[in-house]
Amino acid sequence: MSDSNTKAEKEPMFSAKVLKLLKNPLNLENPITVQVLGICSALAVTVQMKPAIVMALSVTIVTAFSNLIISSLRNTIPSRIRIIVQLVVVAALVIIVDQLLKAYVYDVSKKLSVFVGLIITNCILMGRLEAYAMGNKPWPSFVDGIGNGLGYGLILVLVAFFRELLGSGKIYGMKVIPQALYDSGYMDNGLMILPPMALITIGIIIWVQRSKTTELQED
Amino acid sequence: MENLFNLFVRSIFIDNMIFAYFLGMCSFLAVSKTVKTSVGLGIAVTFVLLVTAPVNWLVDTYLLKPGALIWLSEDFADLDLSYLSFMIFIAVIAAIVQLVEMVVEKFSPSLYNALGIFLPLIAVNCAILGVALFVQERDYHSIAEVTVYAGGSGIGWFLAIASLAAIREKITYSNIPKPLRGLGISFIITGLMAIAFMSFMGIKI
Amino acid sequence: MEHSNKYIFIYSVIMVVVVAVSLTIVAVQLKPAQEDNIRIEKMQNILASVNISTAEVQKKQVIDVYNKYIVSAEAVNIKGDVVESDQAKVFAIDMGSEIKKPIEDQRLPLFKATLDNGDIALIIPLRGKGLWGPVWGYISLKTDYNTVVGTIFDHKAETPGLGAEINQDWFTAPFKGKTLFSENGTFTSIQIVKGGAADDDPHGVDAISGGTITSKGVEKMIYDNLLSYQEYFKKMNNQ
Repeated sequence: MSDSNTKAEKEPMFSAKVLKLLKNPLNLENPITVQVLGICSALAVTVQMKPAIVMALSVTIVTAFSNLIISSLRNTIPSRIRIIVQLVVVAALVIIVDQLLKAYVYDVSKKLSVFVGLIITNCILMGRLEAYAMGNKPWPSFVDGIGNGLGYGLILVLVAFFRELLGSGKIYGMKVIPQALYDSGYMDNGLMILPPMALITIGIIIWVQRSKTTELQED
Repeated sequence: MENLFNLFVRSIFIDNMIFAYFLGMCSFLAVSKTVKTSVGLGIAVTFVLLVTAPVNWLVDTYLLKPGALIWLSEDFADLDLSYLSFMIFIAVIAAIVQLVEMVVEKFSPSLYNALGIFLPLIAVNCAILGVALFVQERDYHSIAEVTVYAGGSGIGWFLAIASLAAIREKITYSNIPKPLRGLGISFIITGLMAIAFMSFMGIKI
Repeated sequence: MEHSNKYIFIYSVIMVVVVAVSLTIVAVQLKPAQEDNIRIEKMQNILASVNISTAEVQKKQVIDVYNKYIVSAEAVNIKGDVVESDQAKVFAIDMGSEIKKPIEDQRLPLFKATLDNGDIALIIPLRGKGLWGPVWGYISLKTDYNTVVGTIFDHKAETPGLGAEINQDWFTAPFKGKTLFSENGTFTSIQIVKGGAADDDPHGVDAISGGTITSKGVEKMIYDNLLSYQEYFKKMNNQ
């Protein structure tokens, strides 16, 4: 009995509405391919999967917590300095993430270099803060942040997957293309590790996504 | 001098903010639908970069770097404030953009009408913060280097956004597969342009 | 909701204080771990320059490996006199800031390693300019102060696929066994030859095609840095 009671109480925490917040950004409202937010820092870290995953996690954490903080403070923030308060919260979180990366995953943090700092100007953050956190309760905002961070991460990891596989024959740093294939004349595509292919890969991902979800097509 | 010229050319063509680092893509894709607006935004970005990058460099060199405060007192030789740099950079950028907006509004209303709507957008343009962070990361030694790099990056960005806008204006008349229209094709065009720009890499300067 | 100026002011002050305090706490807490990372990376680089790979070694054990091989360190000045012999202090010398000092005031670090075969190698840190930013590395010499044992280079921002290749094995491996002095004893350093060095060239290695400026930067870095040690080499050779 008590079990079902607690379940009933917890129900609203993961209600259909909240779940939608988590699911929608993965496809229908994907921050990168649909909302066109946060591309800046997205692409430069997609040569290999490892930095891409770390970057995706960092962005998810920063988005979730800045949404949470701003949403909890939303009734106290003076509207005139709204943007500055948001920037300060975001910048503070990014600094913390950067410091943590430097302390615990030093080699990855070197690869990410300035792009961790650029999370601050990642439009996803300000976009979600303005559009969602300023007008909603902390918990849904937090979930919205996680959802958008993951939607962003999904594209990032997808792009990195193709670039690493085709560009250096590896997945997450491990060789997957057998040596026999190289011996018979296969070569890694050097173009894939250069910047332009990130753009084209994303273009193709958008193409595939919009062929499947026709309501996203533009005229 | 020769060095500065090299830096200038390289920052425009080879280390192009958009084609090599994808910085400022958000506004790049949003605004690059017509040539006129993108020219306005390009000029505004170049202008703001030219002001903010040297200021941020000064702040970094004389306030934030490890031991930077030594000019105040010998006691500060070990002080390292560089963990604050993100926060300070973004604050400086936001403040300067605000200042530029006010100054331009006061002294040149016509320029304000042309650039005004873009200025608030620029504070959160990744290219601006990106240049500030690249300058810090690459350890440029003089304010001349920083200014030249900032100017070159701005012009490179301007060039990229204006040329993409020109292509996009034409492309509205083309028969593109439906799912690829709009965003998809813009990405692919940008990618192709980036490949074209890569040919500058082999240039000997 | 409209707020009074006083409210806004107090709000911003509280915000700034809270943020500043929390960031400072985080920064101070994590500083030791971050500095450890930087120290360990430096140790790995020094070891790599005498061809000891620590890629498989746990982070914590790098220090043990380092202490096993690197037996002493000292810093000399341009005249070849030893100015610092405390190993920890020599290790802490930051080449980036050292190189900006006037040449007479520079402390020139060198590390001595005892290799597995009993040979002693001399490791000299290098610092110079590439195309886009600083390049640095280590070069190790045999005790004839002439033959190169190994090198390692790294860079901050060279062009990926071109200049950035200086940290790859194919670029550094040919340095092994090259000599710094010509037969009549003049200092020639190592040339990085565009289009490929001749197989029997004792002083030349292949350049990176497309990475000309970075290659030149590395060449100049080796020349400039080793030039400062000439007096020291002479002294040691005369002993």
